[in-house]
Amino acid sequence: MPISGNALVRSTAALLLVGLLALAAIVGTTIWLVERNQVYFDQGLEARIIRSATINLRNALQDAETSQRGFLLTGEDRYLEPYNKAVPQIPDLLERVVTVLKPYPEAPAAGLRGGVADKLAELTETIALAQAGNRDQAMAIIETDRGKNAMDELRTLFDGIISSAEERIRAGIEDQRGSTNALRWVTIIGAFVIFVVVGGSAWTVMVYTRDIARARADLEAANTGLEERVRERTADLGKANEEIQRFAYIVTHDLRAPLVNIMGFTAELESSVGTLQSYMSGHDDGDDPRWKEARLAATEDLPEAIGFIRSSTRKMDGLINAILKISLEGRRQLRPEQVDLNEVIETSTSAVHHQISENGGSVTSDVKVPRIVSDKLSLEQILGNLLDNAVKYQDAARPLTITVRAALAAGNRILIHVQDNGRGIAGADHERVFELFRRSGAQSLPGEGIGLAHVRTMVRSLGGEITLASELGTGTTFTISLPRDLRDHVGSMQ
Amino acid sequence: MSNEAKPVTIVMIEDDEGHARLIEKNIRRAGVSNEILPFTNGTRALAFLLGADGSGLVNKGRQLLILLDLNLPDMTGVDILEKLKGNDHTRCCPVVVLTTTDDQREIQRCYDLGANVYITKPVNYDGFANAIKQLGLFFSVMQIPKAD
Repeated sequence: MPISGNALVRSTAALLLVGLLALAAIVGTTIWLVERNQVYFDQGLEARIIRSATINLRNALQDAETSQRGFLLTGEDRYLEPYNKAVPQIPDLLERVVTVLKPYPEAPAAGLRGGVADKLAELTETIALAQAGNRDQAMAIIETDRGKNAMDELRTLFDGIISSAEERIRAGIEDQRGSTNALRWVTIIGAFVIFVVVGGSAWTVMVYTRDIARARADLEAANTGLEERVRERTADLGKANEEIQRFAYIVTHDLRAPLVNIMGFTAELESSVGTLQSYMSGHDDGDDPRWKEARLAATEDLPEAIGFIRSSTRKMDGLINAILKISLEGRRQLRPEQVDLNEVIETSTSAVHHQISENGGSVTSDVKVPRIVSDKLSLEQILGNLLDNAVKYQDAARPLTITVRAALAAGNRILIHVQDNGRGIAGADHERVFELFRRSGAQSLPGEGIGLAHVRTMVRSLGGEITLASELGTGTTFTISLPRDLRDHVGSMQ
Repeated sequence: MSNEAKPVTIVMIEDDEGHARLIEKNIRRAGVSNEILPFTNGTRALAFLLGADGSGLVNKGRQLLILLDLNLPDMTGVDILEKLKGNDHTRCCPVVVLTTTDDQREIQRCYDLGANVYITKPVNYDGFANAIKQLGLFFSVMQIPKAD
């Protein structure tokens, strides 16, 4: 199941939120339960204190009663010792019980006070009587069951207090156990939720990661395929290019061979005609029309024909040489090196300097990227050709000004502009001028029409492109775009 | 170009008959009057140079100077050069490679195989005629060994 990035973020956030809530619930419940436990514990402790205080009071009272009865039975003072020890403690013990019972208004604190006071009064009275020797009187008091009743009432009260305290202790323990159980359950459920959340997140992330990994693998495969294809195409292109250059080279060589024959035999013919002419000029065979015709052929028709053959073959020779030159240029091994553009421009300018200054013209340059890596010879030839053209096609009406500018362009390339104020090129011819053997505009000077074709070939072999902007009668700007480092381009061609 | 007994024969292996004729004319203009044997393909030329059996024994006593074009219809001049320089009987015959190619590797290869002179045919006719005339003048002062 593919997971989109958004869905991943959403589901992960939701899971994290759930996990956070579960954790908060666990923590909150735990704190609350701990608080509760503290309360239960305090309550239990209180109940235990009440219980032990009550028991202490009861024991003291029982001690006193037992001692009283022993004394009354025996009349011996040693039986009175526990009584004497217990009685002084009883008020304190009573106060203690009353104090700890304060939070329980329902407890019979007043009854307790009264009962204890009654019992103590009875005890004191009987003991005093017995000590005074009126033992019968004391016995009579005992027989009234006054002390017994008081003690029974107190016992009932004590039992009530103790049992209610024990009840509270038991209830506290019960509550504590309940809250511990609750804590256990909350912890278990919370832990389960957290496990689910963590598991869910891990699963989501894993699925997503697997998706990403698969997508990346696909992309890499596609990339590799693409690179492979690009490499193949580039190699094909390189081969095709090489093929074309070889073709051009072979064609020009093979065209040259018959041309040499034509020119050679034309020369032979010429010298033969020369021989014929010199013979004929020495003889005059009078009025024979055939002689006249032959002489006309030897002195006018033949030299004229030979002249045309010569000029045509010479032109053809020029064209073939031009193709050969371009094909040789394409075969030339480029040598990338550090090139100082200023220096190249200087070299190219100085070659036409004389021609330019002759008519009051000037060349200025503005080079923002002086250092590039390229083939110096090609650059010099390119600029040389363009400057030659500028000089050749200058407008006679104004002094020639040429501006060469170089600036950095996007993609680590440089742009070289060669601007002149010459005759300009008509819009229809902007592409045509780059074609082999094509020229544009009025031709006042001889040329074969290979300069710009040659320039374009060289620019392209440097990994660049040349374009022009021109307006007839205003001037022309050639723009050459070149890689800043030729090695990058050469590298991509291999 | 001479010796005591037999005159030196120039063997011209050139597929373009026009070129062959022009070469011959210009060599003659340089005053060379030796016999020139033209061949327009490699097979026939090799048959003459190495004999029908291909052993080269036919050359015994011959004095040959070979003008060789590299572009031939049936084989390349380099093959012929290799065979001639690899044969004990034709090894000494001077071979002048006369062709249109000015490829440096091709030139190097020819000299490696034992070519004696390599000349690139000039593109224009005047240069061509001039080169051949000079070659002819060179021939006229050359000494050619007798094959054995």
